[in-house]
Amino acid sequence: MASKIVLEAVAVTKTFSEGSVSVPVLHGIDLELQSGEVVSLEGPSGSGKTTLLSILGCILTPTTGQVIVDGQEVNASRPHLLPEIRKRSIGFVFQQFNLFPALTALENVEYSLNVRGHRGLEARREAERALESVGLADRHHFLPRDLSGGQKQRVAIARALAGRPPILLADEPTANLDSTAGLQILRLFRRLAKESHSGLLIVTHDPKVSAFADRTLRMQDGRFVEGFIPQAPAQEIVERSVLAS
Amino acid sequence: MVDLARKNLLHDKLRFFITVAGVAFAVTLVLVQVGLFVGLLDNSTVTIRHLNADLWVTSHNTPNIDFAHTFSDSYVQRVRSVPGVQRADNLIVWFTQISLPSGAQEGVEVYAMENFERWNFPWSYTGARLNDLRRGPYLFLDDSALQRFGPFAIGEYRELLGTRMQIIGRTQDARSFTTTPVAFVDFDRMQAISQQVLRGNTNYIVVKLEAGADAEGVRREIARRLPHNDVYTSQEWARLSRNYWIESTGLGLNMYLTVFLGCLVGIVVVAQTLYTSTMEHLKEFGTVKAIGGSDGLIYRMVGKQAAISAVFGFVLGAGQALALRPMLSKLQLQMVLTPDFGAIVFVGTLLLCLAASAVSFRKIANIDPALVFRT
Repeated sequence: MASKIVLEAVAVTKTFSEGSVSVPVLHGIDLELQSGEVVSLEGPSGSGKTTLLSILGCILTPTTGQVIVDGQEVNASRPHLLPEIRKRSIGFVFQQFNLFPALTALENVEYSLNVRGHRGLEARREAERALESVGLADRHHFLPRDLSGGQKQRVAIARALAGRPPILLADEPTANLDSTAGLQILRLFRRLAKESHSGLLIVTHDPKVSAFADRTLRMQDGRFVEGFIPQAPAQEIVERSVLAS
Repeated sequence: MVDLARKNLLHDKLRFFITVAGVAFAVTLVLVQVGLFVGLLDNSTVTIRHLNADLWVTSHNTPNIDFAHTFSDSYVQRVRSVPGVQRADNLIVWFTQISLPSGAQEGVEVYAMENFERWNFPWSYTGARLNDLRRGPYLFLDDSALQRFGPFAIGEYRELLGTRMQIIGRTQDARSFTTTPVAFVDFDRMQAISQQVLRGNTNYIVVKLEAGADAEGVRREIARRLPHNDVYTSQEWARLSRNYWIESTGLGLNMYLTVFLGCLVGIVVVAQTLYTSTMEHLKEFGTVKAIGGSDGLIYRMVGKQAAISAVFGFVLGAGQALALRPMLSKLQLQMVLTPDFGAIVFVGTLLLCLAASAVSFRKIANIDPALVFRT
C-alpha cells in the first residue's frame, strides 16, 4: 500500500497565557507523519513533547500554525469539532494505560469502539479481533486489576488500534513497564502499526524506542533539534529484541 | 453499547450502597410523614364522607367537624320545609367524658342522631341494629377505643358523664383527627346526658336532597332561612375540616418542613456522592474525552448513575415504608399510600437525583483532556 501523509504540523506554535503572563512552549514546529511510519519523539522534561502531542492529538489547539489530520485541517476557531476528529482518526496509548477499572479487557476495547459509533456484534467482534492481535485472546473477561502492567498496555494498544484509526499517538508507553515488557510492547506496537498502516508517533524518554522507529525527532525548548542523530541502540538491546521475536 | 455508567456505579459497591441508602432514607421519610399526615387528614373527614349528606348546616364559623358550636335543634324544621330537601336531621358531635371500669376518666367524641339507619351511619359495625340505640341507654363504641380505653365487649357498661350506658355494638374505622375514640348514641339520650349544653340544641343539620334538586338553589334558600348559620356541600365541608388542620395548626407546616428536609437530605447525599465519584473518575472522563467522547456523553453517564440510584433508592425506601405500615396500624396510625402518591414521589426522587447530578456537570465541562497525559 502506498504511504500518504496522515498527520502534518506546519509552523505550529503554542503559548499559554495566565493573566498577563505568557509562556511560549512551542516555536515553529513542522512535522509530517506517513501512514505505516513509526516516529519517536525524544526530549527532556519541559521540552514541549506532551504539548505537541496534545496539539497533534486535537486535544489542544495551536496558537498559530496549521495541523492537518488525515487530510482535514484542524480549525482552531471551532474547538467543538475536535472530539469528532479524535474519534475518527486518532488512537491514543497513555503512559498510565488509562483503562476503565470497572470494565473487562474486552469491554475496555469495545467501549472505545462504541464511542466511535460502532455498536452491537460488530463492535464486539472488532474488539475480540483487536485483543487477539495483541495476544490477549484468553484475557477477555479479566478486569485491569487482574492484569500485569504489560498486559494492561496491550489492552490499551488494542483499544487504540480498534476501529483502525490512521494515526496512533503514544505517550511514554513503556514508562511504567520493566525493560523486558517494554521491549515486547515496542515490538508489538511497531508490528501492528505496520500491519494496519497507521502512522505511529511515540513520545518518550526511553532511548530504546529509537531502535524501533523509522525516524527519531528530538525536541529541546519547544523546537526540534536540527541534525539530531539518535544514539545507536546498545548491541544487547538489538540482539535481545531480535531473539525475542 | 458497553454501559460504563452502570458498571462504574456498581464497581464501588460501598459507595453505591451509601448513595442508595441516602435516597431510601429520604423516600421513606417523605412517604411515612406524608402518608401519616394524609391518614390523619382522612380521619378528619371520614365521618363526613361516609355520612352521605349533600349539605351540612353548621353554626357560624365552625372550623371543622370536631369543634362544633351549638344552635337550636328546632332549625331542622325550617330546613325540612325547603323545596328540594328529601330529608334533614339533627346531628350532635360532642366531646364528653367516659368513665372506665378502672375509675379513670377519658375523653370520647360522641355522634348522636335520631335515626342512624336512615343515613347508613356508622357504615361498619357489629352487634345490635343501629336503631336499637333509641331503645335505651345504649351506645356503639369504635374499635379504635381499644388502645386508649383498653379491652371492651358488647354487653359491658360504661358511664358517659355519670350516665350508665351499655355497649350494644362495635364500629370500625370511625375516627377523628384528634384520635379521641368515637361513640354513637341516640340524639335525645345525648341531649339528656349533657343537658346544660345540649338541651334543645344541636351541632349540625345534615341534609339529603331530592334527586335532580338544584343543590345551589337549596343551599341559598337554607342560608336565607338560617342567616346565623353556614351551609356547605359535603365536599366543601370536608375540605374546610381538612384545611383547618393543615393551615390553622402547626401540623401542615411541620409536614412541609419534613418533606423539604427529606428531599434536602436526599439531594445532598446524592450530589455529594456523585460529585466525589466524578472527582475520583476525572481521569476516566478525561480518557473518554480523549478518545472522542463528548461532554454530552459524560453528562448522560452521570445522569444515568443518578437515575439508577434514584430507582434503587425509591424501591428500597418504598419497601421500608410499606413494611412499617402494619406496625403503625397496630398503633392506630393510618398511613395512606396511594399509587398516585407513590408515582409522584418516584418522579420527584428521579428529578431531584438528576438535579443533584448537575452539580458534577460543571466539573465535567471543565475537564482538560490533556489530564490523560499527566502522571
